[in-house]
Amino acid sequence: MSLKKTMAQNIQTIIILTIFVPIIGSFTIPLAGLISKKARSFWSVLLALATTASSMLLIPFALRGGELAFRKVLGLGVDFIVVADALSVFMAVASSFIGALIVVYSLGYIGHEENQSEYYFIVLLFIGSMMGLVFSANLVFLYLFWEIAALACWRLIGFYRVREYVLKADKAFLVTFFGAVAMLLGFILVYAQTGTFDLTAMRGTAIPGIAVLLILMGMFSKSATVPLHTWLPDAGVAPTTVTALLHAAVLVKIGVYAFARLFCWTFRIPEGWQEAIPVLAVVSSLVAAAAAVVETDLKRILAYSTVSQIGYIFLGFAVMNPMGVSGSLLFILMHGLAKAGLFLCAGIVIHATGERDIRRLGGQIKNMPWTAAAFIFCAFSVIGIPPFGGFFSKFMVIVATVQSGRVWVAAAALFAAVLTMYYLFKVFSAVFMGEPAGHGHKEGTRSMVFVVVTLAVLSLLAGLLVAYPTKLANVAAGEILRWMK
Amino acid sequence: MNPNNLLIPVLLPLLLALFSFLLPGSVKRLREAVSVLGAALFVYVAVSFFGQKETLLTVPWMGHGIDFELRLYQFSQFILLAVSGFTFLIALYSTVRMAGHARLREYYGYLFLTAAMSAGAVLANNFVPLVFFWEGLLITLYALITVGGRGAHRTAVKAFLIGGFCDFCMILGIAILWSQTGTLRLSDISVVPQGLTAVSFYLMMIGAVAKAGSMPFHTWIPDAAVDAPVTVMAFIPAALEKLLGIYMLSRICLDLFQIEVNSAPALVLMTLGALTIVLAVFMALIQKDLKKLLSFHAVSQVGYMMLGVGTAVPIGIAGGIFHMINHAMYKSGLFLAAGSVEQQAGTTELKKLGGLARSMPLTALGFLVCAAAISGIWPLNGFVSKEMVFHGSYETGYTVFTVAAWLGAILTFASFLKAGHSVFFGPRAMENAQVHENKPPVTLAILALAALCVLFGVWNALPLKLFIQPILAGHPGAAGEHLDFTAHALAVFNPIALISMGCLLVALGLHLFGFKRGGNKAYLASEPIHRLPVLHTIYDLAEARVFDLYEQGIKGLQALSRFLFRFVDRPIDAFYEKVVVGVGRAASGAIRAAHNGLYANYLAWTIGGLAIIAWAIGALLR
Repeated sequence: MSLKKTMAQNIQTIIILTIFVPIIGSFTIPLAGLISKKARSFWSVLLALATTASSMLLIPFALRGGELAFRKVLGLGVDFIVVADALSVFMAVASSFIGALIVVYSLGYIGHEENQSEYYFIVLLFIGSMMGLVFSANLVFLYLFWEIAALACWRLIGFYRVREYVLKADKAFLVTFFGAVAMLLGFILVYAQTGTFDLTAMRGTAIPGIAVLLILMGMFSKSATVPLHTWLPDAGVAPTTVTALLHAAVLVKIGVYAFARLFCWTFRIPEGWQEAIPVLAVVSSLVAAAAAVVETDLKRILAYSTVSQIGYIFLGFAVMNPMGVSGSLLFILMHGLAKAGLFLCAGIVIHATGERDIRRLGGQIKNMPWTAAAFIFCAFSVIGIPPFGGFFSKFMVIVATVQSGRVWVAAAALFAAVLTMYYLFKVFSAVFMGEPAGHGHKEGTRSMVFVVVTLAVLSLLAGLLVAYPTKLANVAAGEILRWMK
Repeated sequence: MNPNNLLIPVLLPLLLALFSFLLPGSVKRLREAVSVLGAALFVYVAVSFFGQKETLLTVPWMGHGIDFELRLYQFSQFILLAVSGFTFLIALYSTVRMAGHARLREYYGYLFLTAAMSAGAVLANNFVPLVFFWEGLLITLYALITVGGRGAHRTAVKAFLIGGFCDFCMILGIAILWSQTGTLRLSDISVVPQGLTAVSFYLMMIGAVAKAGSMPFHTWIPDAAVDAPVTVMAFIPAALEKLLGIYMLSRICLDLFQIEVNSAPALVLMTLGALTIVLAVFMALIQKDLKKLLSFHAVSQVGYMMLGVGTAVPIGIAGGIFHMINHAMYKSGLFLAAGSVEQQAGTTELKKLGGLARSMPLTALGFLVCAAAISGIWPLNGFVSKEMVFHGSYETGYTVFTVAAWLGAILTFASFLKAGHSVFFGPRAMENAQVHENKPPVTLAILALAALCVLFGVWNALPLKLFIQPILAGHPGAAGEHLDFTAHALAVFNPIALISMGCLLVALGLHLFGFKRGGNKAYLASEPIHRLPVLHTIYDLAEARVFDLYEQGIKGLQALSRFLFRFVDRPIDAFYEKVVVGVGRAASGAIRAAHNGLYANYLAWTIGGLAIIAWAIGALLR
């Protein structure tokens, strides 16, 4: 008994560390910046790695199917409630790990910019708010961390301070804020019905359609899903590291995570919405893929591609069977790795050539062989080609959709995959193949190349060793859908 | 046998691939030696697996019924043997043909990766590992085509996109089949195609026949013939993809689905097969480049296999499968011979070649035997398997398919008369003065394939009894049937065989007529057909890629994308940029206008507000 108690306390400590090391640490970064540039960079990387390491410590617990909720009473019925289960651990590990890699990459990419202290401060704050959001089991705290993330995102998109960029940052903030406010209204509706914000107390509660609509608006705006998506491609004015972090790996996964936590794990949503959401998701996937085909700006293509892939994640959760939920969780990991890799490869190209229009790029494989190889690896994973990790997640989502009886939705999703294949190859051909445009571009610093190659290799390993993440995803899927039985 | 041994055919080539990737690019001889010896070991493994009892390996993998399952039985043993054999011959041939290539390291790496994944796909007994290996082949195909040089990337992308589309179709088919049957294990599934399962059948059929190179999913093959290294053509489209595609098609038609003779799925398959035979051979006939000509035949011949399997009659199915292995041998041999000519003479354009039989006697011998085999000349293997397909299609009662197959036979022979005549006979072209025979590894590979063509024809009892009959006997669809096809395999005196022979005479006539009309130039022998009134227009359109489903499909994708972008995505963005901003401006403008600083104005607002509050309270109290 006491042993169990100590373990619970250990887990509790680890979670607190995972949330507060980056949040509190982020405020110390400007201080480190006062000492020296090197100290600040070192400290930032250390904080990011510490976050990753402490979240990874939770894996064994989660794999055993452990589920632990603990609360700190704050009064007014608003308790700080934290839940550690396979879902939150999976999410925390995936996002903190990719976040840490991006911080390492930033060393080279952002190294000669001004305001670096601000940059690392906000990035770490963002990672921390993500951790907080993932472990929160209270709607109020969920909303709180949600908005901290939005603020961090706003500051990062406008990092370069150009007026036009700041306007794009405002757009991103306003759209997501609008969604978040709608979501808050939804939370209040739920509160009016249940009298609590505690998710653990509400499992299996049926909620009205209007609340679903409001909360869904929050998720769709955060996860950039049609029709609340256009801020994401516009946000490509941010430094590429930021777009990778926010738009590929972490930020856009907040919405889908909330979907899994709220609509799968906690609430029971009305039949009509269960039918409608898969369709919405696949429409979003298709529209965004089409936009990616038309666009010619490297980063906008990748951003639309993210919108398109998010559709699959929603789809897998929305069909609400074990295969789909497992597939979507894997998708979060696989897409995070591969899309972050693509964005960072694009970053290397843009950094070296100063050009973002794919029509004016070409032949870069000569100058940047490693980047080109990493790009095509990550592209294979995003398309969903074995042996890369993206194959398994996409395959599982498609199969789950068919199993839930939605053959047409699955067919549309596969058609979106055909579009994905087309535009990613188009980008690869335009940027790396053909006649060289300009010459003598250097590939970028060692830390940048190291990170993209790492992400590419991880995309491959995630496919070859897919059994391990799947184990955790399956445990999570079992827990998430428990009330369905 | 220890089930774990089933991993050897996958892991051995994988190791060889890793070895080649990791070995520094400057090391040449060692890489080649290890590749050839390793491939020989691969053959040894496949031979030692042959005739083993059915073995099953099951390793839990991802839950949800997704296990890593491999199964060795008659069919997979046979395909595995063929895969390893081709890997060995291509590795041997490549030591000469690819020597000095800048990307040798990758070339051998991808070659063995292809072998590993093919072995995996053939052994897989669970759909997920099957798709894993099957779709993974897209990457190695893409990579191998790009080895051909800078211009090859476009073709590589084309091959990838076409293959990817068809594989996605197959995935959807598998998903439907899974949801209908509840299992992913291939050996447990046997359903009647109706309703959703029929949809599943067609989708999986697309995946299988597209891998084999059937129309309309073939258009990358002629492009690749120009761009990709010839060894890649001989290895993948000519041999491996036929083996895998037709293997899968046979699995689909024989055990996954119960296909009745002349049922709708069977008729669809036969129609597609017949169309592929005729249309592709018409294209092959007029080609002016040896490799392109061969590549269209690689498409056309798939039609015979599909037609054979689609008959759902035992002799037809056996003929289709037998034709698959025969085709792999002679088409691979033809490509290798073309590659040998290309290396020595520097071109494969028919116009620039001529009279090479004397300077390259061994290559010429290999080419001629293989060409005779593909044309179905008695007593080579092509004759035997084609006759079986003719008989099978005739048995279904739909003679139209048999007629199409005969038409294909006429034009096949005509085009090979043209090709062989142009390259190896006639006056020696000026450019070919210094040409001499290629090195032993090249001629050895070609002659080995030619010898197999003779062997499988003259002693057809050997392959039929050893390979084909056990495959059919092991499948529920053919149980209880009379399965001895050797009796009249080489029989000549029956109406079908006589008509086939007549076809060959017609082809000879056509060739001689064209030869004379073209001023005794063999490469012009197909011109009379090329210039036929209506046909000529169709040929022109085909050359302009009007019938290329890929080119049209890409245009369609782009049009659809532009439509969605302009009429869905942009309007949504305009809503935020224009409507939201405009409404916001208007609202704040109106409010700003209200705050004009006049005392009377504020008083009016206050009183108005009070009135509303009073009304609201009143309403609440009531």
